[in-house]
Amino acid sequence: MAGGELAILKGITLEIKSGDSVAIIGASGSGKSTLLGLLAGLDEASGGRVIINDTDISALDEDQRALFRGRNVGFVFQSFQLLPALTALENVMLPLELQGQADARKQAEHFLERVGLAERTSHYPRQMSGGEQQRVAIARAFANSPAILFADEPTGNLDTTTGGIIVDLLFDLNREQGTTLVLVTHDHALAARCEHRFRLDAGALVEGN
Amino acid sequence: MSVTATRMLARDWRGGELGVLVAALVLAVAVVSGISAFTTRLQVALEQESHRFLAADRVVRSGREMPAEWLQEGSSRQLQTARLLTFPSMIYAGDESMVLASVKAASSAYPLRGELRYSQEPFGEILTATTGPQPGEVWLDSRLFPLLDVGLGDQVMIGEAEFTVAAAARTEPDQAGSFLGYGPRVLMHYDDIDATEVVQPGSRVEYRQLYASADNAALEDFVDWLEPQLQEGQRLLDVRQGQPGLGDALARAESFLLLAGSLGVVLAGVAIALAARRFSERHNDYVAIMKSLGATSATITRLYGRSLLLLGVAATVTGCALGWSLQAAFFGLFGDQLPIEPGPAGLRPYAIGAATALVCLLSFAWPPLRRLSLASPLRVLRRDMPLEERRTFVDYAVGLAAVSGLMWWYSGDWRLTAGVLAGLAVTVVLGLALALTLLRGGRLVGMSAGSIWRLALAGLQRRGTANALQVVIFAMAIMLLLVLLLVRTSLIDAWQTQLPEDTPNHFMLNIAPQEVGDVEQLLQAENIPAAPLYPMIRGRILSVNGEPLPQTDDKAEGRRQREANFTWSDKLPADNTLVEGDWWPPNSAAEEVSLEQEFAERFGVTVGDRIGFQVGSEPLEATVTSIRTLDWQSFNPNFWLVFPPRLLASYPATFMTSFYLEPEEKPFLNRFIRQFPTVTVVEMDVVVAQVRSIISQVSAAVELVLAVIVAAGALVLVAGVQASVDARMHESSILRALGASRRLVLGGLLIEFAAMGLFAGLLATVAAELSVYILQAQVMGMYYQPSPWVWPIGIGAGTVLIAGLGVFNCRKVVSSPPLSVLREL
Repeated sequence: MAGGELAILKGITLEIKSGDSVAIIGASGSGKSTLLGLLAGLDEASGGRVIINDTDISALDEDQRALFRGRNVGFVFQSFQLLPALTALENVMLPLELQGQADARKQAEHFLERVGLAERTSHYPRQMSGGEQQRVAIARAFANSPAILFADEPTGNLDTTTGGIIVDLLFDLNREQGTTLVLVTHDHALAARCEHRFRLDAGALVEGN
Repeated sequence: MSVTATRMLARDWRGGELGVLVAALVLAVAVVSGISAFTTRLQVALEQESHRFLAADRVVRSGREMPAEWLQEGSSRQLQTARLLTFPSMIYAGDESMVLASVKAASSAYPLRGELRYSQEPFGEILTATTGPQPGEVWLDSRLFPLLDVGLGDQVMIGEAEFTVAAAARTEPDQAGSFLGYGPRVLMHYDDIDATEVVQPGSRVEYRQLYASADNAALEDFVDWLEPQLQEGQRLLDVRQGQPGLGDALARAESFLLLAGSLGVVLAGVAIALAARRFSERHNDYVAIMKSLGATSATITRLYGRSLLLLGVAATVTGCALGWSLQAAFFGLFGDQLPIEPGPAGLRPYAIGAATALVCLLSFAWPPLRRLSLASPLRVLRRDMPLEERRTFVDYAVGLAAVSGLMWWYSGDWRLTAGVLAGLAVTVVLGLALALTLLRGGRLVGMSAGSIWRLALAGLQRRGTANALQVVIFAMAIMLLLVLLLVRTSLIDAWQTQLPEDTPNHFMLNIAPQEVGDVEQLLQAENIPAAPLYPMIRGRILSVNGEPLPQTDDKAEGRRQREANFTWSDKLPADNTLVEGDWWPPNSAAEEVSLEQEFAERFGVTVGDRIGFQVGSEPLEATVTSIRTLDWQSFNPNFWLVFPPRLLASYPATFMTSFYLEPEEKPFLNRFIRQFPTVTVVEMDVVVAQVRSIISQVSAAVELVLAVIVAAGALVLVAGVQASVDARMHESSILRALGASRRLVLGGLLIEFAAMGLFAGLLATVAAELSVYILQAQVMGMYYQPSPWVWPIGIGAGTVLIAGLGVFNCRKVVSSPPLSVLREL
């Protein structure tokens, strides 16, 4: 990139196979979140392409990408990103409702039960602990059976014990659902549980630790 | 998705996100529909009430008989009709008693509006009737009984016809206005006119045709049909000409209520815009989450569009119900005191309310919400991402257009709209300039101040632009309230000074020069406050600058135009104001005259012109040396023409005065007439009491409406404070987390908000004075006077209110743990 522009990512070629679990590790400011945003279709790259399941999402406009995300992508975020005005159940139902699924409530209840929150369906995020909120987020991420799940520092806001439980849950569900998992973290222990690991350093990607 | 919209609204409602938005919308609808229903009902009632002053809805007046076909046409259009003839005539009783009386002959339907008042004995207990004397009967003015030495059942003669005295005539609804120069009243039936044989071609008479209908459209249609047929000398009167004082009071009250309604809508609009903006800022993150989960911008637009629609419907229904309750409560509370029956309001006020809600939502709430669909989903990863460019300029333009449109539509008066907009424009321009300058200037002062001050001033400057905008919004709200307060105060003052408690309610005419001393003595002895005795000479205008006045075809009308009552005075009469020329020095014997402004305009005369008069049979010439305006609403004797005393000294004059009489002092009139049988006494007490009661009702309405608008203003202040609370809470929480004391945090906020309130109050006061000047001088036809008392109110209230609201809304920051505050933002 020329002029005064700042190149955050450069020359990255990354291929992830269906069903793989991939960890992207890097220090703060290494461009992890930027890469995740691009891979998940939340952001537009100034150059290059992102192809998921034969769809070139970099060629789609924002609305087409939204539809694509709704059908194919799930998210787990460091800061949970639950809608504070919705109950746990309603938060999980949201992506299903956006897809127009008729049995949204039933499916959402199923996933909340799967993450161990069957008793807390009518609670609001502010009434729950961080770990519980992240479990709701996981239930929401898996609710619409995404082909690929992006997790951004999923344990970043949690203590070690709670983080461990969340990670177990994430990998268990990942296995059960056969989802592709892309995980961004600076936690090496977490990264170690993935099949593939990449390190992002000064905008360039290197396989291995 | 509409289910989701409902759910989203319900959740936001529970979360308190919608409070101000909904309250503002409900208030806008309530203000508009309430005021509209209120004014409609009051207008219907007041118009009816004021039509009683005409005894009809419309009157055609002429000095010659008018075609009977007009009355037939009126009847065929289902209008009520009546006819009147007024003429001076001698009335005889026995052989030696005779008095010059003003005779009014009325058809049976008279009066079409209002009632006749009569009594069974002179000055006795007042009774009401809906029709006048039957054929063969007359009602006589109370003072005619002693003058003619007759009682009920006795016979009197008018011309060649004999009548039985059936009652004492006390008041007629339409008696105000045309009493000067006439003798005591005699009422008779229209059908008896021919039998008297006194009305001959060329007699000095006045014909009136009266029309009334409950169906306003039918009445207007008839007027449209009639008007082209009117000839010179035939005049169509409605209530405004019938009773100019009351007409003005009504028109001003109407202007005020419309102004209040318009300001209410502007205030609510600003509150809605502020609340919607905050709502949309808070929802940016939610939209980002929904988008990351697959919601397209169309989905988001639909979701918020539906939410807004639901909100609009709910607020409209609630607002209309509230508006209805407001006006119903007013009529319920004050209804008993109203001498009038409120009319129906119809559905129109609620249609206006719904339309207002729609316009408010579309132009104030929708722009920021619509742009929510542009929020980037990337915010889920990076919360510090800047929000979507908000194109605030377009928002303001749309809002301004909507405000102007609503005001214009609602008031139907572009001058009123322009007056308010000018004030608002001054607020915005001056406000932004002043606020930015002052907020910047504070840095130097602040640096050396104590830490609370430093904190506050640093806060003011850090958010300089946002604060300046906020100051402008506060100033706008305060300005609009001040405008309303100022207009209301001068309106009510004007009404009260127009008709104070001791407004003269009786007139005495025809006092002979040799009786003046005795009359004055009697009034003084009876302790009755009276105006000075004015000499009165009846005269005619013959020429202007040597040119004879052009002849009109209608003799009677021509005479009416040229005849006038002259008076003389060394001093400018109390209610009068000179607008041109100079008043003469005392003891002037020069040939000068002072003219009333409208009278001068009618003859095209200005200072320096020479006018030829005829007084009795004597000619008189005088030069116009001054032009005056006078207060026709004062109920004091007023004269078009005033001469220096020495100029008129040799002409025959009678004297007149006006005085105030308590109801229980009425018997004084009997004593007075016995002592001065030739003096004419005109009773205006019923009319004055009616006018005053209407004015007091309208004043109460004005106060009620002011209270409602103050609530709208308060909402703007709340919304304005809330809009900035998030950022302030965020910073304050961090300070709190770092160990800042409660005093430091709240003290800093208090100073910050108080400073903004101070600027806003100052600005608002300046702009309000300007706006009020435009409104009063240009729109309401009132005199503008600066109001120094409003300055401390504007500035003080601005400072205290905004400081109070600001600290109140931020109080959580010191009562809750910093982390939980930060988490909720």
